[in-house]
Amino acid sequence: MEKILISKKQGFFYSLKKRVVSSRFLIMMIIPAIIYYAVFCYIPMYGVLIAFTDYNSYLGIMGSVSQNWVGFQNFQEIFRYPHFWDTFKNTIFIGSLKIVISFISAVLMALIINELRMRFFKKFAQIVVTFPHFLSWVVVASLFIMILDNTGVLNNFLSKNGMEPVHFFADPHLFRTLLFSSDVWKEAGWSSIIYIATMAGISTDLYEAADIDGATRLQKIWHITLPGIKPTAILLLIMSVGGVLSAGFDQIFNMTSRLTNPDVIDAVNIIDTLVYQFLQTGMPEGQSTAIGLFKSVIGFALVITTDRIAKLCGERGII
Amino acid sequence: MAKVKIEKLPLAKKDKPGPSHKFGRMDVVLFIILLVFALLIIFPFYYLFIVSITPPDIYMNNPAVIWTPRVTFEAYKGVFEDRNIWNGFGITCILLFGGTAYQIFFTTITGYALSRSKWFGKNFVMNMILVTMFFGGGLIPYYILIKSLGMTNTIWVMIIPGAIDTFNMLLMRNYFASLPKELEESARIDGANDVQIFVKIFLPLSLPMLATVGLFFAVGNWNSWYNGMLFNSDYSIRTLQQVLQDIITEPSANIPILNPERVNEENFKTAAIFFTIIPMMMFYPFLQRYFVKGIVVGAIKG
Repeated sequence: MEKILISKKQGFFYSLKKRVVSSRFLIMMIIPAIIYYAVFCYIPMYGVLIAFTDYNSYLGIMGSVSQNWVGFQNFQEIFRYPHFWDTFKNTIFIGSLKIVISFISAVLMALIINELRMRFFKKFAQIVVTFPHFLSWVVVASLFIMILDNTGVLNNFLSKNGMEPVHFFADPHLFRTLLFSSDVWKEAGWSSIIYIATMAGISTDLYEAADIDGATRLQKIWHITLPGIKPTAILLLIMSVGGVLSAGFDQIFNMTSRLTNPDVIDAVNIIDTLVYQFLQTGMPEGQSTAIGLFKSVIGFALVITTDRIAKLCGERGII
Repeated sequence: MAKVKIEKLPLAKKDKPGPSHKFGRMDVVLFIILLVFALLIIFPFYYLFIVSITPPDIYMNNPAVIWTPRVTFEAYKGVFEDRNIWNGFGITCILLFGGTAYQIFFTTITGYALSRSKWFGKNFVMNMILVTMFFGGGLIPYYILIKSLGMTNTIWVMIIPGAIDTFNMLLMRNYFASLPKELEESARIDGANDVQIFVKIFLPLSLPMLATVGLFFAVGNWNSWYNGMLFNSDYSIRTLQQVLQDIITEPSANIPILNPERVNEENFKTAAIFFTIIPMMMFYPFLQRYFVKGIVVGAIKG
């Protein structure tokens, strides 16, 4: 019995060695990636332990864990912080509405471009509507500020013609609306591409059969095109659900960069901007990390849950 | 899902749904909607350009300019003479060329290694990478890491942490995996070694995908500001986007002293914005199909 085990072991190690030697080139190629992900993704993941400590930069992560362990105290403190729940609610609200709005706008844009018969105009329009995706939020926010600010073209035009100016950057509700619309402005065209490609992959036979049955164009969209993009849409929705709590730091940071009105800033404060403010104002690292960890865990749980629900409904999941 | 060859993208086959090619009432509606949306996108750029070339006296009388009878290029002269903007442009160019090459190199070799059939440890590495797509440590541990690596206030912080982008890496991997396996086998029979197979056979065949991934990286580098803002307080290594950010948020401190008769603050701001987007505007119409190709191939195979 023992002999067999030993020989099995030798065999295992022998074949292991052979396998390593035969793939040494590929292993060499992957080493930078292993180092990269270990350093820039896994060390920060290990760093979440800071959330359970009273972090002290002299002690470092390890020292803080062994000497300043405080358990869930940081979480209790951030949950007690009244700003935190407002921010959390904002994040959920802005993040989820953004997913819904961008999904609808992308599908609508895809339907329009797919249905339109004018080839040349379609090509031109597609270049135009996908372009803003490639601008940074620094630029896009400056554009929106230049045009919609109190001294921007719109308000100057309105006041010149005796109308009430619209204070997009001073009213919390209007400013939130501006967040959603600027997101559509920037991303609708680009996100539609994937749906257009999926629509182009739907078999023409289906449409021909529908024609024979005398279906109208809207009926064809409803019964063929939309079901045709359903798997892609579900896949992308699951992917985006994990980002609900991200809600767009770049956008909000740049759009609020010139604001001083606390009502407006509070109305669009999200978890990421809160962590950034914590970092800037030198709040304890333990608490800021706790907020970040809270966000990551909820995001991860959301992806898993949506994936399970999608699978229960008979769709293809991602995990 | 179905594998689609890159030359025959479904997107290329236009006008598929339905053989009814009549231009109906619905097309008019769709045309108008799309036209309005496109105009909404074009208008801000047009307006910005007009503001940047409107002389201050005309702008003072009517800030809602849609058209200007007289044109001045003083603001552009100011932008071209501004040392901060040129400095930012230089830093951004370092990222654009150096950073992009660095990212392409590491992303490509990783994608290639993960595309080859079986080798020891492949599943482990793949899972290790996929986990990072769904879970991260958050900003503070990352910040502490970068600080302890001594990368704050250096240009490296805008380059090194971007070595591999998981999405682009998977694009490359899927593309390499879609090339016929027989290529590798026949090359091996002809006596090629691993390095030769990669450099002489797979790399030349994947040039279209390399172009796409490279363009994604290049755009990312051109638009880079986040890491710089977070980790660098040194003004001499601001990227172009950061310089622009400072010009828009704190005009008084970041706009050079100008002759108010010939150029005002708004002129300068809009000209600076234009300076950062003109390269994109010039190249984008010709490169659009590469970007589209990337996203479509990635989605269909992923």
